[in-house]
Amino acid sequence: MVKGDAKPILNIRELTKIEQLISLVEEARKNLLEMHQHDKHIHIDSSLTSLEVIATLQLLKRTSVNPVDRDWLILSKGHAAPALYAVLAGLGVIPKAELARINSIDSVLQNHPEVGAPGVDVATGSLAQGLSIGIGIAAWIKSVGGSGKVFVVMGDGELDEGQVWEAITHAAALKLDNLVVVVDWNGYQHDGSVKEVKPKDFMPLVWRAIGWKVLWANGHDVVSLMIALESALNSESPVVIFAETEKKREVPGDANHYAE
Amino acid sequence: MSSCKSFREELARQLVRVGEKSDRVVVITADVGLSTRAYAFGERFRDRYFNVGIAEQHMIGFAAGLALVGAIPIATGFAEFILRGWEQIRNSVARMNLNVKIVATHAGYSGYADGASHQALEDIALMRVLPNMTVVVPADVADLKRCFEKLVLEHMGPTYIRLGRDYAPPVTEETDYEYKIGKAFVLRDGHDIAVVGAGVVLHEALTAAKELEKHGVSTCVVNLLNIKPIDIDTVVAVAKKTGRVVVVEEHMVYGGIGSAVAEVLVQRCPVPMRLLGATTFGRSAKSQQELLSYFGLDSKAIVKTALEVISDERR
Repeated sequence: MVKGDAKPILNIRELTKIEQLISLVEEARKNLLEMHQHDKHIHIDSSLTSLEVIATLQLLKRTSVNPVDRDWLILSKGHAAPALYAVLAGLGVIPKAELARINSIDSVLQNHPEVGAPGVDVATGSLAQGLSIGIGIAAWIKSVGGSGKVFVVMGDGELDEGQVWEAITHAAALKLDNLVVVVDWNGYQHDGSVKEVKPKDFMPLVWRAIGWKVLWANGHDVVSLMIALESALNSESPVVIFAETEKKREVPGDANHYAE
Repeated sequence: MSSCKSFREELARQLVRVGEKSDRVVVITADVGLSTRAYAFGERFRDRYFNVGIAEQHMIGFAAGLALVGAIPIATGFAEFILRGWEQIRNSVARMNLNVKIVATHAGYSGYADGASHQALEDIALMRVLPNMTVVVPADVADLKRCFEKLVLEHMGPTYIRLGRDYAPPVTEETDYEYKIGKAFVLRDGHDIAVVGAGVVLHEALTAAKELEKHGVSTCVVNLLNIKPIDIDTVVAVAKKTGRVVVVEEHMVYGGIGSAVAEVLVQRCPVPMRLLGATTFGRSAKSQQELLSYFGLDSKAIVKTALEVISDERR
């Protein structure tokens, strides 16, 4: 298991990437809070907890014209879409001016990802479905000998879905070594804390028992995430990284947070 | 007419055939490959056959993923249990307009012995309500042969192909037409009444048409195998010509083929109509034909209904 708290000795290239990543995260955070000023309907808490995870994966993602030789990033927790848009704007993929228009009737930026938006690989929004889609992508890449990797970001509450069981048992059976799931382990689901709603401390043990390699990371620390991902990309089985994050629930201007 | 053939035995042949023609074709089963005959594809193309286990929701998402990277996935299963993945079909497949083919066997009463839990009578309604979805119900083995390769290798986009298990009496074997998406086919011309339907009940419709002839009623029979997109022109033309329409379907009358035809006619050419279909769950029986009779979908019921439509007008 990887604990990413200790600062590793990094070479210049990695160091550059980390510096780039840290500034990307800061810019994306500003973008995200600005989006929230324009539309209180965005899922700000879940977007904030996933921000570093999404930024790290988006920066690592390799592109290619061949769909089996590129990497895929799927937000199975589709409600974190604003975090992805904030990151994509930081990278210049989405025009910054568009961010303020999220959820406008003529904006490509939907509250949950649609493939019409630049940089969005897969439409999601209904929990657990991004995971199965990712497994399908990874399976075909492996079948045809492609070099693409598949990253799937999930929520901890999302693990309640029965489809997750259907999917993770299949991924393990297929020994998908090109699949990495990152669970945003923020401790909250829709109606309250995970502890109150449905405790799932056993979850990492379940994934491991099924045949997944299980890693931990600090989901707010990009160095910790990079170390875990480096280990994940050199695995012979599918990998899940439980990324511990914190829901502050103190978003400026969000005093009257309400359920959709 | 030649003897009754089997939908799933023909499906096995068709799957292998499209597999031979394109190495992008992938067949997926949720552990019913033996029953659907999808395993025939797996025996031939081991690397392109996936058994996801008893996991229908995941099967649909898995197929969506395959389609995103250029494969042509065919998700197979019992019609009733594919419905477990309906919301996945909506959100993972139809929303992205992905090239996923869903082949549902054991639809209608074809799983006659297994009873209500296994008899899908709601699937057409649930599939045709989805944007981007194409819905096809072949009448017999000849129809399946005509449409399968076109739907898999030529047509792009989410497609639902509804099949029975074995019972497949001849309906279109002696009719000559080329399958085209969105087209309905007139199996028999007539000018007093039109019987429109899809699937094995068309065999009953043709038998009823012959019987109606004895009553001096000239009956047109239409094979509406393309439920969606529906052939508006043909439906309106036969309604105009006959002035009366009976729809028969091995499916709930609510939201199914009758509803689809009514949606067209009420706006384009309102004529007296009757809808014959299921109104409740199925049950176990010794044969599919027995169930069609029990639930009022056989030739006798069609004759009776047709004569009623005609006499109602005269009153």
